Parts: sequence; structure tokens; C-alpha cells
Amino acid sequence: MRKLGMVIDLNRCIGCRSCAVVCKIHNSVPPGMWWQRVETVGSQEHMIAVGEYPDLSEVFLPVPCQHCDNAPCVKVCPVGATWQREDGIVLVDYERCIGCRYCMTACPYGVRQFNWQNSDNSFREGFKKAGFDQNWFADKDYRYGYPFDHRTKDGRLVFTLRRPKGVVEKCTFCVQYVDQGLLPACVRGCPGNARTFGDLNDPDSDISRIIRGRNVIKLMAELATEPKVFYIPPARKEGKGGISYEKKL
Amino acid sequence: MTINRRDFIKVCALSAAAAAGSRYFGIAPFAQPNPAGMDSLDFIRSTCSPNCTGACGFNAMVYKGRIQSLVQAADYPEKEYNPRGCLRGQSMLNLIYGPDRLKQPLIRIGKRGEGKFRAVSWDEALDHVADKLAEIMQKYGPESVATTIQVPGTGYVNKGALMRLASMYDWSVIHAYTMNGDLPAFWPMTFGVQTEELESLEWTNSKYTMVLGSNVLVTRVPDAKFLNISREKGGKLVVVDPNYSPTASKADEWVQINPSTDAAFALGIVSVILNEKLYDEDFIKTYTDMPLLVRLDNHKKLLASDVASLAGRAKARKKNIPEYREQYVVYNKNSKGYAIPDPEDLKRNFDPALEGEFEVGLTNGERVKAKPVFQLLAELMKREFTPEKAARIIAPEESRVPAYTEMIARIAREMATTQPLHIVYGASNYQWYHGDLKGRALSLIVTLTGNLGKPGAGISTYAGQYRVRWPLGAWWGFKDKKNKWLNYLLWMNDEYRGSEEFRKYNKEIPHPKNGVKAFIYGWGNPFDQHNMANRMREKASSGELELIVTTDFQMSTSCLWSDVVLPGVAWYEKYDLTATVPHPYVQLQQPAIEPLFQSMPEIWIFKEIAKRLAERTGNREILKNIADFYPDPGLFKTEEAARKDGSWSLKLARRLANEASLDATSLMLRTGGPQVQDMSVDMLKKGPVRMNLPTPDNRQIMFHEQIAQFKPFPPVSYPAPLPKTARFVRSGRIEFYKDDDVFIETGETLPTHKDPFVDTENKKATGASGHYKLALITRNALYRVHSTHSNNLTLLELQDMKPKVWMNPRAAEERGIREGDHVAAYNDRGKVYGYAVLDPGLHQNVAVFEEGWWSRYLEGTSYNSLTYPWIKAAHLIYFTPGVWEPTTAWNETACEVKKAEGVSHA
Repeated sequence: MRKLGMVIDLNRCIGCRSCAVVCKIHNSVPPGMWWQRVETVGSQEHMIAVGEYPDLSEVFLPVPCQHCDNAPCVKVCPVGATWQREDGIVLVDYERCIGCRYCMTACPYGVRQFNWQNSDNSFREGFKKAGFDQNWFADKDYRYGYPFDHRTKDGRLVFTLRRPKGVVEKCTFCVQYVDQGLLPACVRGCPGNARTFGDLNDPDSDISRIIRGRNVIKLMAELATEPKVFYIPPARKEGKGGISYEKKL
Repeated sequence: MTINRRDFIKVCALSAAAAAGSRYFGIAPFAQPNPAGMDSLDFIRSTCSPNCTGACGFNAMVYKGRIQSLVQAADYPEKEYNPRGCLRGQSMLNLIYGPDRLKQPLIRIGKRGEGKFRAVSWDEALDHVADKLAEIMQKYGPESVATTIQVPGTGYVNKGALMRLASMYDWSVIHAYTMNGDLPAFWPMTFGVQTEELESLEWTNSKYTMVLGSNVLVTRVPDAKFLNISREKGGKLVVVDPNYSPTASKADEWVQINPSTDAAFALGIVSVILNEKLYDEDFIKTYTDMPLLVRLDNHKKLLASDVASLAGRAKARKKNIPEYREQYVVYNKNSKGYAIPDPEDLKRNFDPALEGEFEVGLTNGERVKAKPVFQLLAELMKREFTPEKAARIIAPEESRVPAYTEMIARIAREMATTQPLHIVYGASNYQWYHGDLKGRALSLIVTLTGNLGKPGAGISTYAGQYRVRWPLGAWWGFKDKKNKWLNYLLWMNDEYRGSEEFRKYNKEIPHPKNGVKAFIYGWGNPFDQHNMANRMREKASSGELELIVTTDFQMSTSCLWSDVVLPGVAWYEKYDLTATVPHPYVQLQQPAIEPLFQSMPEIWIFKEIAKRLAERTGNREILKNIADFYPDPGLFKTEEAARKDGSWSLKLARRLANEASLDATSLMLRTGGPQVQDMSVDMLKKGPVRMNLPTPDNRQIMFHEQIAQFKPFPPVSYPAPLPKTARFVRSGRIEFYKDDDVFIETGETLPTHKDPFVDTENKKATGASGHYKLALITRNALYRVHSTHSNNLTLLELQDMKPKVWMNPRAAEERGIREGDHVAAYNDRGKVYGYAVLDPGLHQNVAVFEEGWWSRYLEGTSYNSLTYPWIKAAHLIYFTPGVWEPTTAWNETACEVKKAEGVSHA
């Protein structure tokens, strides 16, 4: 059985937030919610340096759902709406979710979002907050995102364009694409080529080859949640790159 | 190209496996197709084309006539390029379908800027425009109609249609490249070109990359990875900037310098290279003006025709060389006498002296002293730019001077001994009054070290990028008519146009005798976005501008200031041809959907104006040929016939416009010359096609022909004809010594450094001197492409929906400003509001505002009310539009920042 995971190279990540945006559009995530965020570690504002001259840094950290193998959200869900599929993807069944939000409390990564209202209303509110006179798209029937409902083989609703009021949602590794043999939108769309997605159980997969024999980080590993999203930490800067001019002079 | 689902999965799997050198990507196609899913989706490839030049291929996912989402096409043959496309392009749907989308033509009924309009039919709007234009052309002359397009490379067809219209009626075109301040004036001065640059894939071949004043990670998102890959391959990345930036965070080394002191840094490096003899002697003797002799009496380069022993030979050869060439003199060490290097062939059969002083007998019997350019340069460097002296200029604090002195020497040695070396010369570096001096100084480093004409080597400019890639006259000029031109800064700066300095140096720049009375343009937002946007607004409010016509697909601030708004379309609703310069791929824009509401492809809008104006101006010649506005007059006639028999519809007009756009594309490919030979619309429909370049593997490497084949400088900068640009480097060589009078009079014959504000703000009676201590840098934001995406819902969210002013924490503390305070950045000319962000990476004397915010987010203020149309005399002496003319210096703006309480709101 395959076990799907992702590795993000923080050396390659340019902090551009394209992953967050492409995720939002493809999954029709309403204003006020993000399935994926990209932060500058240690800074409240994105792309603001941390530290003091000359020891400044900006490390960009994308945080999608970690699809934990030992997922706290799954354990606390009283109705089995959140579960880990056989291939390792942690999903929410929108038809079964009762909106108790225990899972949001349990998730240490803060990646779960709650629909306090139906998602069309969240869009209306978003347009208003952004200062538009109108609170909807110019085309009144428009709403972006993958247009079809997606159900797992056993019939559970794991993607629907217009989310109902009172359900929790989060990154699904783009289950609607993965089930068709495609990569998650953020992996396909990363202009920095920072992400690899694949089968952790296949020793020959790119992701397995990248992770093997390398120091990779799991976020909050100490909690033993066993994330399936791995990070390659930024390398130390030598200050000189590969240059050694002294020899030549 | 319509791709069905099966193909799409194949394409995606392929490009994924191909991406990023396979180190990262690759997924076995697993899982079963979803029967309910993608079969009913269409994927249409187009090219993202805002006013950046990235030209990223995107597939639009279309369901029931609407674009549901966008996926980078990732179909470039070099796998490293995939995927191209960033957060802005990915969220373009917010603009196409957003609340600001224009639905039908509008005619103003309120005051200008008030935003009160009447929705009208296309006929009424177009007739109104034609009536007014005819009246203004009659009353003031056709040159009083000004027009402009932005970033020609992303719309050869539709933007070309406006140029075609302008040529037809002799309107004045404003070159937006200089309007935007993107012209790096050192390029024509030094190399005789508009610009040159490596394609971004070439960055991975550089072993040493220095980025100055460019934030590649934010402004060139799809290309930024190549900096990372270059480092992975063992290259070094150095970022030189007053401010720590995301790009600096990826660098091996960040060098913080004082604002606008890049030239001093570069010259400090040059002084070490000269002093330690780290230069490539053969290279500079062959390709540059370093060996040419300069007269010490008048500071002019010694002319062969003035030298007694050479005058005869010079006269004989003059007949065989083009008029734009000049014959200069070197001292040939082989023959121990003076020689004339051939300005048409750089192959060298002489060994010129680089150093020394010579006494030369002239034809008039006088004897004058002369020195090679190299000698003069070496003297200047020794005198003014030792590492210690340069360190004093660039170091933000006195205490850092010793460390900076050592750093300059170390970096000079690194740069001189590591090949290939590449310098990215950013707009934040050069959009200053003395920006040209910086480019001249920095290009010295790559030239002295022989880093030109080779993979991964050179100096590149990635801002603006207006160069088109081949001659487009067949489409852009109606019946081969040439465009008339106007300089934007001179339009905005009446005071300067009346000045003595202007009269003294201006030889070629025209200005309409009755001024500009009508302004008709597209693809821009000048009432927010341009230097002196406030002056534009004054010209609108006062009625000096009698007609303002805008085509756009959204209700921008500039639409609010217009008399007539004509709804155009986005790049998923039309055909167009794109070929920009960051990469050499020719691509199509293709319609994925019908244009929304009543919006129309711009080619149709301009065709209609051309036709209606012809009917009114009664110009028989134009009237007779008007059907030729579309390349196939049959299409024009079909539409007219449909009008007559009542079968005309928007749908028909759109279909014909689409056909005409493809015809125009074919025409430009057919007449484009060797670079696009054998390229066809059918090939482009399948995906991107690399141009034929005169380099190994068609890779975009600067000056390859000059260096490898000894061809004279410059290569052609399309669309300007060679004589218009070759006259800037009459020696046929790379020129570091400029001897036009203005350079002699301003002390800029050789690259040098001049402090910011001294020749500008501090000279003005009400200027910065004393009370405005901060330099206002209006940098580009991650969340916009200039003013496009200012109203993008998703991207607004990522900025907490508010504009910000970035300051160093200490500078903020001195002014009593805390994080999040509502503040005003202001000077005597204007102000802009934002919320304070404290950034320890910022230079103490800098305030940053991110350009592109529409006024409605700024409580009606504009960051462009603080700027001023500075004009440097050296930029006046020629007029080759977009190549040598006055250009905006945005950053030459002094300001202060204070809490907004008590500041009266605009």
C-alpha cells in the first residue's frame, strides 16, 4: 500500500506564497481561510528580516496540513468525519462533520479552518472587507475552483466547491487531483521547485530517495504526531559560496 | 490548444517528471481516472501577460464557458524552466471575474475623477471618441493626440494595433519605457543598445552572481530558482542593497551600502582590479575604447582625421564606413606609431598602448598631449576610488569603514578571478538621477574581466524590458508609416522645457506645438502609476487635456479619470503574440472563454476608431485603404457587409477580430527575419517555440556575435534602425569614455560616483536640504505587477488589506512611530498614507512604500505625488525613443514620515 507524503526544501523555497494562492484558487478556499500558509520564521510580517545587523535572516516556511501518521485530529473526532485514508491522506468527510471543532483544538499546526457560515457568505464578507462596493464577482454565477464534487471510493464527500456552514476544512493534498494521478496543485505550481510528492513506501520514489540519508525536519516532531510532510532545513552559509580566490593569487 | 483530459494528465505527469532536474520531482502516474471528473473540462494554453515580462505559459481549466482555475503549462522544452508562473498569475481569476470588471462602454457624466458614467453602446462610445479626436486633430494638429502602450513584448498584436492606429494619423507616441523610468541609460551610452540580458536559465552557468538593487525573489518569481540552482552548482551569490531583502536572504553575502552609492562600490572594485592588474588585457584592447587616445586640451577623443600622419588614410577609409562611425586613434606598440582601429571590424592586428602620455602632431600644425582612456581611468580610480575612499562613501556607519575597505578588496579579487561573472543591475539601483553612472561603473567590472559574450557572463537588466525581438513594422506601421514620438517627462515638466539647460542640450526631441490635448492609451494606469500622477490629474481637472480615452478590462483609477472607457479583454479572451526578453520563447495568448459581457479584443476597438476617424477626417488616402487595417481586408469588409444587412453581432465582430489577430501574428512572423524564420501560428498553437538566436544552442547570451566574430558594437535594438543606435558608440567599441559636450561639462566623461539628492532635491529652494532625511524607495510588491492585482481579493488578504510603510526600527523610534501606526510619508510636493512596519533589515535613511496601490486604498493620496520629473541633461542630447531620452528617476525622492494623526486627509 502506498503512503503519500511531501518534502519541502527550504533552501529552494523563495517565500513567494504561490503555493498558498494556487491552493486557494483550486480548492476554492474562501476569504479569511487558508489551507496553506507561508511564514517568515520568527517574524510577524512576511518577508521582514529577523535579527540585528549583520546577523539577519529570512527563512520561509510553508505549512500545509502535515497529514500526520499519528494524527491527533483523527483521534479526537467524535463522529469519524476526519480519518486517515489507506494511502495516508488525512481527510474530512463534509457530510459527516458536525462542526464540534475538537480537531481544530487538537491540531498543533493550526491548519484547520472552520466554516462559520456557508462559503458563499464568506466570499461576500471578503469582498466587503477588501473595500469593494459589490460583494460578489461581476459574473453572479461565478465561483472559482475545481468544479466537481469529489468522493472517495467508499463514497465519502471530501471535496465540494461550495462548503456548507458548520464544517471544518483543510488541505487534502488535493485529493481530487491525486486520485486522478496528478500532483497536488502546490507541488505542480511551485515556481521554486521546492516540493516533491510521492510514495514514502516505495524506496525508489523521488521522495524516498531525497529523504533517505538526509537530515530532514518534521515540524514539532517531539509531539510524535509523525507528520508526512518533511522539510529540508536551510544550509549554513559559508559566506563565500564555492569561491576561494586566495589560491589563484 | 485544447487539451483533453487524457492529454492533460500526460502533460502534467511529463512536466512534473521533467521539472527541476529530476532531483525533486517525479511521480509515477498512479490511481485510476475519475469518471465524473476531468473529462468534461477543457484546458486551453495561453500566456500570462500583465506588465511584467515573465510571459509564463498557463493552461486555463474551463468548465461550461468559465475558467475554474489556472495551471502553469510547464511545457518549456528545457525542463528547468518548468513551471513558470507565480501567485499573481495563479489568482488572475480574481480580476477576470472580479467586481471591477468593465461590462460595457462608458461615457463620463460627472467631473473627471469622480467616477460617474453613463453606460452606452459601442457605437455611441466609438462615435463619440472619433468626433472628439477629429475635432482636436483639426484644431491643434494630429501630434496633439498622445498615445502610449505598456510592455509591447506581451502583446505584439493588440498593442501593435494601437501603434498602427497612431502611425496612421501621425499621433505622438509616448515611449512607456522612459515614462516608467525603466530605461537604464548606461546601456546606450556604453554598448549602444537599449538593453541586453541573459535568459534566466543562463544564471545557472554563472559562477559568481552579484545582484544590485534587484529583489529577484519578489519581482522575478519564476526565475528566482535559478539563483538557488546556481548556488547548488557551486556558484556564489552576492546581494548589494541598502536593505536586506528576500533575495539577500538567499545570498552567500549581503553587502549593505548607503542609498545610491552603487557606483562608488563598483569603482572601488575597479580600482583594485586595475591596481592589482587583474584585468583581461587582450579583451579590453580588442573590444573597448580603453586604448583610444583622448586629447588633454579639449577632453575629446583624438580623431584620426585631425592627426597629421593619419588624416590621409582616414579620409580614404571614410568612404567605406557608415556615416555613424568615427575613426579614432591608438598608439600601436608594434609599429611604434599611431594607428586607426577599424570601427567596423574588431579583429586586431595591432597592439595598442593602454598607458602613457603621447604628444601628437595635428593637421593644423599644433601638437597636443593625449592619453589612452585606460590611463585616464586608472588615474581617476587612484585619485578618487581607492577601496578606502569608496568604503567611506558606501558604509552606512563610520565604524564599518575599515571592514568595508577590506571587503571591497576581497570582493574585487573574487570577481576578477571567478568566471563566468554575472551582474544583475536592478531598477532600485538605477532609477535615480545618476543611475546611468552606476551602470557605467558596474559594466566596467564585467568588461575589464572579459565577462561578455559567454554563457553565464555579463550584466543584465530585468526591469521594464521593452525590447521587441524582431522588426514589427509590417503590422505596427500602417502602410509602413513610422510613428511620431513625444517624451513623457518633458510633457510633465513645463518648467524644464522652458529652461536654458533644455535649450542648450536638446537637439532632437519634438514637442507638439499646441501641447498635448488628447490622451488615448491602454494597458496602463497612469493616473495612479506614473511619475507625476498628480500632474496628470491636474491636466485632466484643468481641462488642458480635452479628451481622455482608456481601454482596460477593469475599472482602474485611470478609468475614473477618463471621458470614455472602452472595455478590452484579458489574455484568456483573445489571440495575441508574445515574445519578451527574460527568455527567448515565442508564445500565443489564446481565448479560453468568450470575452465577458460586452468587452472586445483591442484590435477591434482600434480598428473601429481608425475607421470612424477616417470617415470624419475625410483623408481620402486613408479612407481608400481603411479596409487594410486588418491584415486581410476581406475580414474588414465582411464586418461592414454584416453591418449593412443587419446581421452584425458582437459575436461576429469577435470572431473576425480573432481571425485578424492570427493574421497579424502570421504577418509578423513572416516578415520578422531570421530570428523567427520558419515559425508558424500552427507551431505556436501547440506550445512555446524558441527563437533562432545567433548563439550556440540558441541560448540568449549577450554580445556573442561581437565577442566571437569581432562584429562592431552595437547589435540592433529592435525596432530602432541600427544607425539610430550605432551613433551612440561611434568607435564600434564598448565605450567608457563619453566625449559629447554634456559629459565633459558635467564631469562624467568617465564612470564616476555622485551622491544622491545633491543635483536634485538639495538644489531646489523647497527641496530636501535639511528637513527631508529619508529616501523614499517605491519598490515592487510580491502581491502586484505594478498596479495590476491592486484589487485582487486573494492578494489583498495576504497584505491584511492595507498599504504599508517600511522603516528601520531606530528611524521609527526617532520619529515616535510604532509598529502598525497609521503614518504619512510626505514632502513638499505630496504625501501617501500607510501603516508602519518596522524592519531591522532596512537602511536607517530609507522609507519604503510598495508601488502599485490604487488611490482608493490610499484615502485618495498617491505615492507619485511625492516624486518629481527630474531630467538629466545627458539624456537630452539624442532622441531615439525608448533608447536614449529623458527617463523617470523614481527613487530620487526625499521624504519624511510622521504619524498620520493631525495630518489633514486628502
